[in-house]
Amino acid sequence: MAAAGEANGGTGKLESSLDVPFPSSREATIALRSLSPDKEPRKGGISKLITVSGSTLSRWSADEARILRVSVNSFLDHLSLVLETMEMFGPPVAV
Amino acid sequence: MTVVIGFEGSANKIGIGIIRDGEVLSNPRRTYITPPGQGFLPSDTARHHRAVILTVLKEALEQAGLKPADIDCVAYTKGPGMGAPLVTVALVARTVSQLWGKPLLGVNHCIGHIEMGRLITKANNPTVLYVSGGNTQVIAYSERRYRIFGETIDIAVGNCLDRFARVIKISNDPSPGYNIEQMAKKGSQYVELPYTVKGMDVSFSGILSYIEETLFSMLVEITERAMAHCGSQEVLIVGGVGCNLRLQEMMGVMCKERGAKLFATDERFCIDNGAMIAQAGWEMFRSGQVTELKDSWITQRYRTDEVEVTWRD
Repeated sequence: MAAAGEANGGTGKLESSLDVPFPSSREATIALRSLSPDKEPRKGGISKLITVSGSTLSRWSADEARILRVSVNSFLDHLSLVLETMEMFGPPVAV
Repeated sequence: MTVVIGFEGSANKIGIGIIRDGEVLSNPRRTYITPPGQGFLPSDTARHHRAVILTVLKEALEQAGLKPADIDCVAYTKGPGMGAPLVTVALVARTVSQLWGKPLLGVNHCIGHIEMGRLITKANNPTVLYVSGGNTQVIAYSERRYRIFGETIDIAVGNCLDRFARVIKISNDPSPGYNIEQMAKKGSQYVELPYTVKGMDVSFSGILSYIEETLFSMLVEITERAMAHCGSQEVLIVGGVGCNLRLQEMMGVMCKERGAKLFATDERFCIDNGAMIAQAGWEMFRSGQVTELKDSWITQRYRTDEVEVTWRD
């Protein structure tokens, strides 16, 4: 998993991105569909985008470092729960 | 034959239950208990649920003697409740639903309580008093909705009792309400004012007897009013506070006066549990409802009357 955070000089927003590898794109998609339905608890100042292309990629942007940190932290907690669930109850059934 | 697994974790209880056509096959549950004087906060509660949920899930399957392939539907609490714990539970439900290739169903927590109460007690069409730490509502079914006839305008009755228990530092094990009830039993005097100068035991009992008598009388009154409006001859009490025998006693007196029947369940089912979500899920699934993953977001506010009750006529 590679993580990078940098200040985007153009918009003044802080950005962070995570690349999460999965054994298959099916499993990456399962993780995506589990993690994306819930809205960010915070109303403004944060935007999160999760997409899949072979692996799961998430990209954040936030107005403040503190907001970014909270959101990324939450996501990592949630991701680890999803991964543990997949480990214990996977692999996914044949479609 | 329809088998539904239900996931519940909207407050400090995490429970996963499996129901097959009205039979509870398993219903394991864990409670996050805080030290006396402290309530439970969302992030700590979520952390507690996170730590045990997969173990409880395994238990539910093992105790039921089932494999994931035997499950027909995965039900989970969509809301209402605390955000962080709701998300933790929804994540696991969504993930196993996809891993096992089974449809998902988001259930309203209050309706879970109602459907469990109906299943266990076989009450036909009761006026429902739903009382817990998070909710206080008087509900009656009418034309595909569980209509809210009366509710608290501020905090739930269980919340009032819990806060009171915190102030006087009663233990939260197994629950503050249970310990209030035990102490109140020893009280024999109804005291007008909340404060009384007597020996420690008597003054506790006096205060707690007062609290219970007053709060429960209020609930009996609004339930009776709803029954009068609906012409109902049955009362069903659900929710954690429904375990309280004094409340059941007081409600029983009112019911007897009206020639009505009182129904209640024991602590296995009136306290939050997974099987109640499975039961509501079973009803919803059999009447053709399913929740798409993109619509499976949890919500802290979810009114009982927002749900279309497609399984009753």
